[in-house]
Amino acid sequence: MSSILQAQNVEKYYGNKGNLTRALAGVSFSVEEGEYVGVMGASGSGKTTLLNCISTIDTVTAGHIHIDGRDITEMGRKSLASFRREKLGFIFQDFNLLDTLTAYENIALALTIRKRPPREINARVKEAAEMLGISDVLRRYPYQMSGGQKQRVAGARALITNPALILADEPTGALDSKSARALLESFRRLVREKKATILMVTHDAFAAGHCDRILFIRDGRLFHQLPRGRDTGKQFFDKIIEVVSLLGGETNDVN
Amino acid sequence: MSIRLALGNVRKSLRDYLIYFMTLSFGVCIFYAFNSIDSQQAVMEMTGSQMAALRLISRIMNTFSVFVSVILAFLILYANGFLIKRRKKEFGLYIILGMEKWMTARILLFETLFVGLLSLFAGLFLGVFLSQGMAVVTARLLGAGIGSFSFVFSFSALVKTMGYFGLAFVLALLFNIEMVRRQKLIDLLYAAKKNESFKPPRPGLSILIFILSLCCIGLSYKLILNNGLISSQGILTVCTVLGGAGTFLFFFSLSGFFLKLVQQNRGLYLKGLNMFVLRQIAGKINTAYVTMTLVCLMLFVSICTLSSGMGLADALAAELRGNTPFDATFFVRASDESPESAYAGVDLLAIARERGFDPGEGTYAAVRAYAADSPVALLAEGAEKTVYPEFMKLSDFNKVLELQGIDPIFLGADEYALNSGVRNERWQGMLAAYEEGGALELAGKRLRAAADGLYAYTTEVSSIKDYTIVAVVPDELLSDAPIKRDILHMNYPPGDGDCEKRCVSALLGFAPEGFEGSLETKARMMEYSHSTTTTIAYLAIYLGVVSLLMAATVLAIGQLSEAGDNVDRYGLLRKIGVEDRMIDTALFAQILICFGVPALPALAHAAVGIRAASKFVDIFGEMNILGSSLVAAFGIVVIYCAYFFATYAGSKRIVNKEYAHQRRIMENE
Ligand SMILES: Nc1ncnc2c1ncn2[C@@H]1O[C@H](COP(=O)(O)OP(=O)(O)O)[C@@H](O)[C@H]1O
Ligand SMILES: [Mg+2]
Repeated sequence: MSSILQAQNVEKYYGNKGNLTRALAGVSFSVEEGEYVGVMGASGSGKTTLLNCISTIDTVTAGHIHIDGRDITEMGRKSLASFRREKLGFIFQDFNLLDTLTAYENIALALTIRKRPPREINARVKEAAEMLGISDVLRRYPYQMSGGQKQRVAGARALITNPALILADEPTGALDSKSARALLESFRRLVREKKATILMVTHDAFAAGHCDRILFIRDGRLFHQLPRGRDTGKQFFDKIIEVVSLLGGETNDVN
Repeated sequence: MSIRLALGNVRKSLRDYLIYFMTLSFGVCIFYAFNSIDSQQAVMEMTGSQMAALRLISRIMNTFSVFVSVILAFLILYANGFLIKRRKKEFGLYIILGMEKWMTARILLFETLFVGLLSLFAGLFLGVFLSQGMAVVTARLLGAGIGSFSFVFSFSALVKTMGYFGLAFVLALLFNIEMVRRQKLIDLLYAAKKNESFKPPRPGLSILIFILSLCCIGLSYKLILNNGLISSQGILTVCTVLGGAGTFLFFFSLSGFFLKLVQQNRGLYLKGLNMFVLRQIAGKINTAYVTMTLVCLMLFVSICTLSSGMGLADALAAELRGNTPFDATFFVRASDESPESAYAGVDLLAIARERGFDPGEGTYAAVRAYAADSPVALLAEGAEKTVYPEFMKLSDFNKVLELQGIDPIFLGADEYALNSGVRNERWQGMLAAYEEGGALELAGKRLRAAADGLYAYTTEVSSIKDYTIVAVVPDELLSDAPIKRDILHMNYPPGDGDCEKRCVSALLGFAPEGFEGSLETKARMMEYSHSTTTTIAYLAIYLGVVSLLMAATVLAIGQLSEAGDNVDRYGLLRKIGVEDRMIDTALFAQILICFGVPALPALAHAAVGIRAASKFVDIFGEMNILGSSLVAAFGIVVIYCAYFFATYAGSKRIVNKEYAHQRRIMENE
């Protein structure tokens, strides 16, 4: 196994001289290929900031981030855009599907904007839909789907390009528990069958329970890491709850 | 406080809503310019009748302006509505922050006021400049000279423009305040959220309707082309209804049909952002087919009026050239009360000299027209039987030709020739009869048609088209024929500007006792025709430009509000890794197609309409529709493109703003 993602002493400051917020205070960790990693922490602890820095949407103040062997903190704006397109897949809390396109088209869009030949698109969309269990809603428009289905369509869109790393910021945040479970199970399947690498921010211990490893963040620092090891689901879940209570503060974000 | 806020807002709006200002200023500008025609006389050197013509034109434009002002007021309200819709959330925020509703209304009041004043002044400024240029054009159209340069400014047009537009702004103001007063906070805050539910088109049905729409349009084309513009009221109504309904159904079904069509082509559909753009447009047309139909029809009106109006003006001017072979024609004939047989002829030359004008100063031709001794002249059997020609001696006719610098014609002793200034259907009948060797009986003698003896010379200065047919026969045959009228054609000596005046004062309105006299001069006809030409051309341009403005504004604002609704969609594309360039291209394509979709059917309609109209206008004279159409098309394209690019720039701003806003926060901090 090689590491897909390496963060070294990542720092991020917001604001100006008079009023400085330290959102990340030197975070270091790495994610291996095919790993399913969760990020947990209280509201305002810096989870989204971390994810934004990794996803190249935001820039770091100090430190380095290597993705698939390349240091994204050293890249120019142009190459960042193409890097994001080639290497990364995104899943957002609020789905972010285009309301004017069908599920099929929403997924296919990820390929067409990467200028893939049209003939290979159909098969790959079908395959991705199969993987996430949404084959029978492909012809529907977003307004005709449930939240869970929408999020799985977004998942299919993220994975169809075979990204080196899939980044998800609270993907279950807007879902009811049943839909959340279905989504998490399909993520699990992705990791198992497609060897996808996922970094998922969540405030939900149940969601975190699906991961291989959890990173806990407090006040912009890596507070603790919890690998699943040989634990059963129940054992792992209990451990997570334990750390969460150690973290203090309420973990449930407003969002 | 509210003034400062409002000023700041306006400054922002200025950049954001280019279209709003364009339309307002453009409208004010046109309105002022066409209402200030009266004052253009300041720079012109005009005769009394030219002055009268100018006043008439000015009056017609003023009347028409009432109609235009209603349209412009509608445009202002429409654009204003768009402005407000985009700003609802902001006002919601003011209220949330604890501002009283009346305070918010006051901000809005100041804002509308500033916007109104600003565009009013910009428009007036432009309008004043436009009317300087227009003065030159008017002078040329009227055939008047340009005097010393002075500034054209019409105070009354200024007051009128301010009055009308002030009223429109007050309406907009009331509308805005009422909006704030009645809105619930929750609606204000969530106004930015999509409120139109997306409705995907139904392909199966739309293909059927699409075909039906094409049939309707095709049928109406066929009807109008086969029957022409002056067909029966019934056919015209059927055409209009068919064309209108066809156009409506066309837009109604277009998105579904088009989508289906492109979806069949996977290679095209699944390429880049094509899918997205197509869906955007389909969604747009699908919800806005009524607007699209209206825009299409307005464009149609605009193209037709601009090109036909200018063509008609052209045709009139061309006809005039043909109608005035001499400087003046004076004739005397028996009055209607006294029978023709009582007329024994007069010496026009002597009369003219007696009254103080000597045609001999220049060149002249005094000729005589005779009536037939038998009232009906028959041509060959089966042809036109009711041609009542005037007869003229060969030598007289050749005198008329000579004065025009045309070579004389020749006739054998038993031959005749025919001349008619107008070639129309009647001419066809004559031609056929003539070719069959149609004979003419005169003074008991049978005359043969001379070979190549059909002529189409204009033989006198006349304000109406000369439908008279002249039969030219050997001199001796008319020695005993009854005289119909005496005619004096005159050309003034070159360079003598005074001649016309003296000729007119000597002969206009004069007739020897018991007879009728008529003087028509080239100069007088020019003036008359110039005023008609100018009126038609200006009316056409006024109407054409206003409807073009309307179409372009409605389209542009539709697109801009669309762009506002689309911020989320484009933002999302960015999030999933679409490059800026690709997004700009998609936006460009989307707006281009939205501008093109109503323009294409409008062009087709206009092409057919103009064809039908050119047949109609033909009655007035040959019409060079192509030339004027090209000029009109150029003008239309320029304005339309200006709106297109302004819309693209505006949409790009709106779509990029949110993103840029985010970036700015990131980079600054
Ligand atoms: N754009 C920003 N400007 C200033 N401060 C910010 C910005 N984004 C986040 N922060 C601050 O950084 C810290 C971490 O925020 P965030 O990463 O969003 O937390 P989380 O996602 O864990 O709730 C918070 O204190 C937050 O206020
Ligand atoms: Mg967050």
